[in-house]
Amino acid sequence: MKMIRAILRPDKVEEVVDSLSDAGYVALTKMDVIGRGKQKGIQLDNIYYDELPKVMLILVTPSEKIDEIVEIINETAFTGNFGDGKIFISPVEEAYTVRTRTKGL
Amino acid sequence: MKEIVAIIRPNKITRTKEVLDALGFPAMTANAVFGRGKQKAIIGEVSFDIQNADLRKEEGSMRYIPKRMISLVVPDEDASLVVESIMKVNNTGQTGDGKIFICPIEDAVRVRTKENGEDAIL
Repeated sequence: MKMIRAILRPDKVEEVVDSLSDAGYVALTKMDVIGRGKQKGIQLDNIYYDELPKVMLILVTPSEKIDEIVEIINETAFTGNFGDGKIFISPVEEAYTVRTRTKGL
Repeated sequence: MKEIVAIIRPNKITRTKEVLDALGFPAMTANAVFGRGKQKAIIGEVSFDIQNADLRKEEGSMRYIPKRMISLVVPDEDASLVVESIMKVNNTGQTGDGKIFICPIEDAVRVRTKENGEDAIL
């Protein structure tokens, strides 16, 4: 299993969530975060924004679905400008469902 | 070391904290998040009264359900104990009780003393 953490533009998130659920990946967690990238925030006229608001989507999926999900997120969240976001993939060893107390997704 | 990420109901967080504290795991990070599971967001999950009858009928008519995400880093041998106790406290039998994930952690550092590895989390 892998955990996908995608840090995306807030205005693109609903679009990404919809296209993920169309493809059959309904379950996810959403979190508001603040951060910056390599460009160290953004300068708009005289105002310098050090940290920018983003939304982090967290999904845990079987390893073989990773490519498909990353592709969907990449396609949907793309605008071509700096600040489109990053996707991180990390290993998950075990998953449990609390209601049924069973192992697995 | 293992990181235990649990996504649970907001109203169970106090009890979960008490139980983990009693077992000797007082340290954790908690976060208010929104999410949904396989069933999409079930409207009966939220406790306030929803006036619109059409909304109440349909499964998946709400986009997200408010949840708490807690994460704690524990030594390998304690992971199953923590998972068991979180499951025991949070089990209500209803859909939406949450999920628990266990992820490997390579290293930890305590900022104050610069300790490494398991010393940093104990």
